[in-house]
Amino acid sequence: MNEANFDLVVVGGGAAGFNAALSCRARYPEKRVVLVDQEPEVGYYRTLLPMFMAGKLPEEKLFFWRPGEGMGLEVRTNVKVRSLDRQAKRLTLESGETLGYQCLILAPGGRPVVPPVFERSVTPDGVFPVRSLGVAREIKAWLLAHRDIVVLGGGLVGSKTSVFLRLAGFSVTLVEREAHILPTVLSANTARPLQRHLENMGVRVCTGTTIDRFKADAAGAVKAVRLATGEWVPCGTFLVGIGSTPDVGFIRETDLMRDGELVVSTTLQTVDPAIFAIGDAVAIQTPDGARAHPWTWPQAVAQGKLAGTNAFSASPRPLKRTTRVNAQNISGVPLMILGGPGVGSSIEARPGPGEGVWREFFLDDSRIVGGALVGDIAGAGPLHFTMANAEDVSQRVAGLLAPRTRAFRPSTWTRLGQSYRARNFAVKESTPC
Amino acid sequence: MKVIAVHVDRCTGCKTCELFCATERGSEGKTLLKAVQETPLPQARVRVEGGDGVSVPLQCRHCLDAPCLDACLTGALARDEETGMVWVKDDRCIGCWTCVMFCPYGVIYPWAERKMALKCDRCMHMESSACVDVCPTRALEIVEINQLGEVFAEKRRSAASVAAAVAGKGGAVVLDLAK
Repeated sequence: MNEANFDLVVVGGGAAGFNAALSCRARYPEKRVVLVDQEPEVGYYRTLLPMFMAGKLPEEKLFFWRPGEGMGLEVRTNVKVRSLDRQAKRLTLESGETLGYQCLILAPGGRPVVPPVFERSVTPDGVFPVRSLGVAREIKAWLLAHRDIVVLGGGLVGSKTSVFLRLAGFSVTLVEREAHILPTVLSANTARPLQRHLENMGVRVCTGTTIDRFKADAAGAVKAVRLATGEWVPCGTFLVGIGSTPDVGFIRETDLMRDGELVVSTTLQTVDPAIFAIGDAVAIQTPDGARAHPWTWPQAVAQGKLAGTNAFSASPRPLKRTTRVNAQNISGVPLMILGGPGVGSSIEARPGPGEGVWREFFLDDSRIVGGALVGDIAGAGPLHFTMANAEDVSQRVAGLLAPRTRAFRPSTWTRLGQSYRARNFAVKESTPC
Repeated sequence: MKVIAVHVDRCTGCKTCELFCATERGSEGKTLLKAVQETPLPQARVRVEGGDGVSVPLQCRHCLDAPCLDACLTGALARDEETGMVWVKDDRCIGCWTCVMFCPYGVIYPWAERKMALKCDRCMHMESSACVDVCPTRALEIVEINQLGEVFAEKRRSAASVAAAVAGKGGAVVLDLAK
């Protein structure tokens, strides 16, 4: 049997895992590092996949690392981990190879959730989860002949995908189970201007409903799907973006799990100090006892870099922020998400000026715990850190809602103005390099 | 690593730095007369903010542990190995504004018309910085970052001598270092 010993083994080549491996190599050049991933390719920007499949981005711009670029990193792709032996400090891969480690970083990421409608039957062709590059390539090829698209899930991935595909000229229907799009992070007030913007662009948005039946043609490709309202929507491509669950696989049998979650401390260590866990699969236990699930790209990168330097450090540093903050330019409408409301938090909101602009915070004991900025993102950065530092804002609410900074001033928006923005201020189309 | 230091006490809020930054770094014509006629209007990478008698030019601090570098979704933000400056690769930036959200100082500016994030890179590929050259009151200055301590010490000395002089006249003062 093939056996190799490494100082650091990283499982998972997403943003978190890859940055962990690179930062460890940069910090400790003498350490031998290996990265294991189940996908055939690693080192790409997952967040750009919706743009890529809409044909708005050339494939070479997806990658931040190519094989052969070195950095002294060994990479094993296309292979899953079969088991972990904590006593012997050894991982067994499905290829039969065993990897011994001094330190292990787990970044297995998430697995797309399968909608219930496909759980009990054979999934027809033309149904894809939006998650990995391999699938994104399939989607891109499939779309050439199937231009009627239904996107299930009105989260950030679903909304982004709908927007890019619509801008590329496809017919798009977005289906969301809750009453408005982005239900976990936006309130009804902030979601409304965004939803209207999508509709103005020509995306059909169906909220408060889901897909309960589908029809396939003779060749086994999806032909139509039925909304819970009973309406059949013709559809040649069915994209699923209803979130992900931690892809814990082989970790489940180990005793690293707590109440079904892979829990780490703020230094990103599991109960075994030689094993770190980062990214979309972990829950971070904060000092106040709460568990944070900051599953965003910036968090993955920050956690990766930290875990890579903590791996061989005598005094591991804690993660600075566990905020679940995200931002996106939804085709000309800038969107900043600070987080969902906590229990019993009060709302401070300022609509306008003009259609499509809404700034809103959730305050808990004079501290910002969440909120969103839609259309007007003036002062967004300082606002984020005001929240992350838990500053008392009782005297500053008005200033934060309508900052005097000139960093970004939206014009007063009308419906016409919005469609102008959608055409002209949409995310830039990238040219081949 | 060289950075732009700001003498807040010398800034009069004239915004000359903004005008010439936008002209030199954002326009095709490179003269003020041509720049103001361009569409979209060139944008500055330094912004003078303030009020209540205080003004301060804000530009990127090139943080050592820069949150924007972690946040960038496309690899457009990078740190220059040689100068240590954080800069935006225009061809990679798609204008998603995630870095804007992650800048604690609010000094990354979204340029919606050009769909790119604007930030100060201290004109690192030029001989000197446009804003520093034009500042009429020398409020902007390029210093070596480990000399900043000396700049601060000098400020403290002058503040202390003012305090001593005022105290000598028999009055307690509250020093406002911003003025």
